Amino acid sequence: MNTTLIGQLVGLRYKLLWAKTRSRNGRIALFLAGYLLLVLVIGLLTTGGFAAAMLAVRTGKAEPVAQGALTALFLEAVLAANILGFGMGAVFADTELRRYPLTAADRRIARHLTGILDPFWFLFFALELGLAVGLYVMGAGSFWFGLAAVLLLFAANYLLARVVGLFIDQLIERKGGAPILMGLIMTLAILPSVVASQLRKDPAMVAAVVQRLQYTPPFGAAAAMIHPGLPGVHGLAIVITWILGLAALLVWLEKRPPLRQVAESVKIDWDSPFDRVGALFGPRMGPLVGHWLRFYGRNSRTRTLSLISLPLLAFLTFQLGRQSKAPHGLFIAALGTFPMVTFLGTSRISVNQFGYVGGAFRRYFLLPIHPSATLRAASYAAVTIGASMLPVALLAWLLFSPYPFDARMPLMLLCAGFTGLFVLHGLGIWVTLFNPRKGNYNSHFGNDLSLGGNIVLIGGMLLSMFVPQWLYRARPALVSPESWWMFLPLPVLALAFYLATLQFAGPVFVTRREKLLAIVEGRN
Amino acid sequence: MDAIRTTNLTKNYGQKSAVENLSLAVPAGTMFGFLGPNGSGKSTTIGCMTGLLDPTSGEIELLGQRFTADSAAIKRRIGVMPETLGLFEPLYAHEFLAFVARMFGLDEATTRRRVTELLEALELTDTSKTLSEYSTGMRKRVAFAAAVIHSPEVLFLDEPFESIDPAGVSLMKQWLRRFTAQGRTVFITSHVLETVERVCQHVAIITRPGKLVWQGDITALANDGAVVCNGQEFRALEPLFLHLTGERYTDLAWL
Repeated sequence: MNTTLIGQLVGLRYKLLWAKTRSRNGRIALFLAGYLLLVLVIGLLTTGGFAAAMLAVRTGKAEPVAQGALTALFLEAVLAANILGFGMGAVFADTELRRYPLTAADRRIARHLTGILDPFWFLFFALELGLAVGLYVMGAGSFWFGLAAVLLLFAANYLLARVVGLFIDQLIERKGGAPILMGLIMTLAILPSVVASQLRKDPAMVAAVVQRLQYTPPFGAAAAMIHPGLPGVHGLAIVITWILGLAALLVWLEKRPPLRQVAESVKIDWDSPFDRVGALFGPRMGPLVGHWLRFYGRNSRTRTLSLISLPLLAFLTFQLGRQSKAPHGLFIAALGTFPMVTFLGTSRISVNQFGYVGGAFRRYFLLPIHPSATLRAASYAAVTIGASMLPVALLAWLLFSPYPFDARMPLMLLCAGFTGLFVLHGLGIWVTLFNPRKGNYNSHFGNDLSLGGNIVLIGGMLLSMFVPQWLYRARPALVSPESWWMFLPLPVLALAFYLATLQFAGPVFVTRREKLLAIVEGRN
Repeated sequence: MDAIRTTNLTKNYGQKSAVENLSLAVPAGTMFGFLGPNGSGKSTTIGCMTGLLDPTSGEIELLGQRFTADSAAIKRRIGVMPETLGLFEPLYAHEFLAFVARMFGLDEATTRRRVTELLEALELTDTSKTLSEYSTGMRKRVAFAAAVIHSPEVLFLDEPFESIDPAGVSLMKQWLRRFTAQGRTVFITSHVLETVERVCQHVAIITRPGKLVWQGDITALANDGAVVCNGQEFRALEPLFLHLTGERYTDLAWL
């Protein structure tokens, strides 16, 4: 193994991170602040893990608490990595590494070593380490067994996330892969509720399930943390077996050639639906909107997110509604999820409209139109796609809502949906202008959004979901159907914000075009 | 009449100067070569002349009218093939060309006819591939087609012949000659001096940072004649270029 060259590549990964921050305004201060924040978060998480360990020992349930905490962290890391894309960005592609004198095995090690060194994984590592240290300090475990368990679990967690990501990646490439993926997501979403209700009906099943779970990495790691000696060795052996199995699976998946859907022959289609919808915006804007609709529509991430957004948000509505104690809990939850229906599908491009066009960005300035028309057309396309999700969501509500028909409810949901549509897409324009990032149009996974993009996407999602819940707690009357009239001005205000954004963002776009050009072409 | 005229054109990036007081005059109906070493500001100059970049100072006139980034009416009369090609990778060639044609005001029927004709002429008939799957040469042909689809009066081509096979280059040269014969103007940057020598009538040479060092008629070179510069005779463009730009090549003993 060429450890020197691999070490150089790992060093290069951090040099690139540093170079990125160095090339921006206020970069060093930002980097330091970010670094301190990361250290602070890691410190907090370590303390959190430590506190969980204290609780576990004091309640006399050290092992079950450790098993539960490690399982939750393990699954959360896999989900966060694959849904939000954290810690999954390819630092160096295999084709890039082929330039260097490395063997295939060395290249694989270099790729995954630089991948696992993403700060995202350190956060989970800190929590797990906090738990191990806590258990040791409270006299409920061995330090060295705990440390070994955490390190091995960390590796297994990364490998599983990669395997899941690659599996999804290859599934999407197959014909009919997207609906299969949607089915899998729905199954996974529904499974916990089904299993929970079965376990409630038949408590004897709990022991059987726990017995099976002993062979999972988190349970193996928990056993190693708490039982030094033979049971601990057994626990470590379980995690090592998983690591070997996952590594083999990862290598197998990586070696499989990507199966792309290649059209044998494409007839020139002069009348595509994109252009027909675009034509609704008039002869001047029509071709531009049609072009942007095509750009959104051809993006596999947009298609997948649009496809899974409805079942995903339906599941969230159901979960939030079930937990709510309000008489119309499901309706209050839907008030929070309807705005996201209009944004989730296109979110990646909506908050970074030019980040995926690369060198073609300059083309917009060569066209005989005012450049701001491009920005407007891109946003119109996203808003059109987002708005088209609302009738589907509304129909689903009307079909599956458990309440007797009340016209005020769909009206309020529509108002919430349109408010989210205009506010989130308006914010997306500002992020596009002030915090863009060069991204890869063809990547299915990985979080390539800027900080601003993540704030709008994740913050927008959390806010829209939880604001109705908070409102219910603070002033229940505000989110009851009796207050339907209070929802009417919301979309109007949101539309005003969106139109004002379009008005003011146009000149900003022209002024900032050289900066944007440098970013989207990867020169900044 | 001059088709392109710049007066004291300057473009700075912060403290760094990319183009410095560049004054050029490109006669209408000519093929004009714009030459310079790497990083001398050729693409920046084209960027300013086509509305992509805002000049720091100076003026640009295209087709007798003052040109700025907002001059939509003039943009409709020019065609540009940028150095980075500016292709929308997920699109098919016909979709991309149709989009450009519609944006430049061609009606639907003309768009379809011209796209089909261009794809056939440039041998881009494999419509099963998106632009991202095309080879460099094919991508260059598409970018060239996009620049000419609306029959512009002035054509800016940034390094048009590199990566294109000899048959493609020959076809493009033939089209460009016909283009100028009709009174239209072609502004070309290229590092292939032999090609420039054969196709261009006028040449401007700049050196870092975007300073004009020579501009003149080179038609004599194509007829085995010579160009006189600083009292010296040059029978080819390459020695003239090296003389003016002061480009030297260091010899590495180990290489």
